[in-house]
Amino acid sequence: MGSSDETLIRIKANKDGFVLVPHPAAPFDSILRELQDRLAKTRDFFARSEMVLDLRRRSLKTSQIAALHKLLKEKGQVKVVEVQLSDDLKMALDQPSAPAQPPAPPPPRRASHGDREDREGVPVIIRSTCRSGIRIESPSDCVILGDVNPGAEVVAVGDIIVFGNLRGIAHAGALGDRSARIWAFSIEPSQIRIADLVAIPPKGDKSTSKRYEIAEIQGDLIELITV
Amino acid sequence: MAGKTMVVTSGKGGVGKTTTVANLGTVLATKKYSVVMIDGDIGLRNLDVVMGLENRIVYNLVDIIEEKCRIQQAMIRDRKINNLCIIPAAQTREKDAVQPEQMKALCSELAEEFDYVIIDCPAGIERGFKNAIAGAEIAIVVTTPEVSAIRDADRVIGLLEANMLKDIHLIINRMNFKMVKKGDMMSTADIVSLLSVPLLGVIPESDEVVISTNRGTPLVHDRGSRAGQAFRKIAARLNGESVPLDDDRGDGLLGRMKRFFKS
Repeated sequence: MGSSDETLIRIKANKDGFVLVPHPAAPFDSILRELQDRLAKTRDFFARSEMVLDLRRRSLKTSQIAALHKLLKEKGQVKVVEVQLSDDLKMALDQPSAPAQPPAPPPPRRASHGDREDREGVPVIIRSTCRSGIRIESPSDCVILGDVNPGAEVVAVGDIIVFGNLRGIAHAGALGDRSARIWAFSIEPSQIRIADLVAIPPKGDKSTSKRYEIAEIQGDLIELITV
Repeated sequence: MAGKTMVVTSGKGGVGKTTTVANLGTVLATKKYSVVMIDGDIGLRNLDVVMGLENRIVYNLVDIIEEKCRIQQAMIRDRKINNLCIIPAAQTREKDAVQPEQMKALCSELAEEFDYVIIDCPAGIERGFKNAIAGAEIAIVVTTPEVSAIRDADRVIGLLEANMLKDIHLIINRMNFKMVKKGDMMSTADIVSLLSVPLLGVIPESDEVVISTNRGTPLVHDRGSRAGQAFRKIAARLNGESVPLDDDRGDGLLGRMKRFFKS
């Protein structure tokens, strides 16, 4: 591979992941080919990482963006999370929740966070069981359609709603919102956190029939309400 | 005709992966399928010992990958069953002597020739695990009814799903039905509901397993063994035969008759 080819695409790393910058003028076909070579050479180095497509100096057609997106996903298992079109115009890509992957980008990726407005943002929806070793982060609320197993962690700036059993760790109101709540069909967590409080469930079984449970802060304690 | 490639994995060590591979391979071979078992645990090989073939090893998996020998040269035929082979792991090398792509290529080559390719996965979720699962279409997760083993199995299932291996089955090994009855052990139903993958079968805890491992003859050769019976049923289910799952009481025909008369 000639040395001139190396500038066809540049892959930079920043604190949130990787940024892919295509050459401003080179033909799209050669960019695509170069990316394919690069992915083949680096094997699974980029696997399961998140990438931002930087198109500030190079504009591409929608079909071309889709082609890059497909190549990254299929050859490199890379998820394109964002396409940067100009300095203040970003396009967050629609991310269907892939199983066993933390689909939510960490909170700093979104423009602003931490204030009340964000809680009204789009909740992160996970359509699978969260298994041990998985960490889900949501910049707003988090909805999980499945169980949260021991060893899994769910962190949300807002509320956490689990349509299943919560057995792992859940942290609602991660940026300090004490009014955040956790809802689940059954809450038997390894640990539960709301804002700055941490609670460990009491030992002993409590398998009474119930419809669902809510964890919230009352006074200075996390209380569990069975409905 | 391409055969089935399956990996037996668990995350945690010592739950019975190698025993499972040896027994399932043996049962499938006695059903007249051609079976090859690959020991994926490079550096810590075991499958040859469990099969009682350790003194016949000349070439191994790494030799095939490095093209020091042909595949046929490294395959060791079982003493009793003609259509059962194992490919032993290298004992003096490490896991990174093999790449996942190379395993994939080897498995698809073997699948052309054999009905079943069964890979024995090493413990852990690092390189050895990635190598072992690379060539497989079906994954069998083995766990014991202990929380630590179940937690690891859960993690492994997550990793398998992330690697696009969707055909995942569960085997619960070393189940002590008496302890379940007393409430001292997680029941089959609890484990299945937590891991939420289809159950292939439950193997009762038994001393016969240790004895057969030490002798180097798979348990399923012993007709009277309960654990061997469980392995035979699991192999039949894997093979697509419909064998109903046993309930959690773990007693045989006699116990069922006793229960029948009591009720």
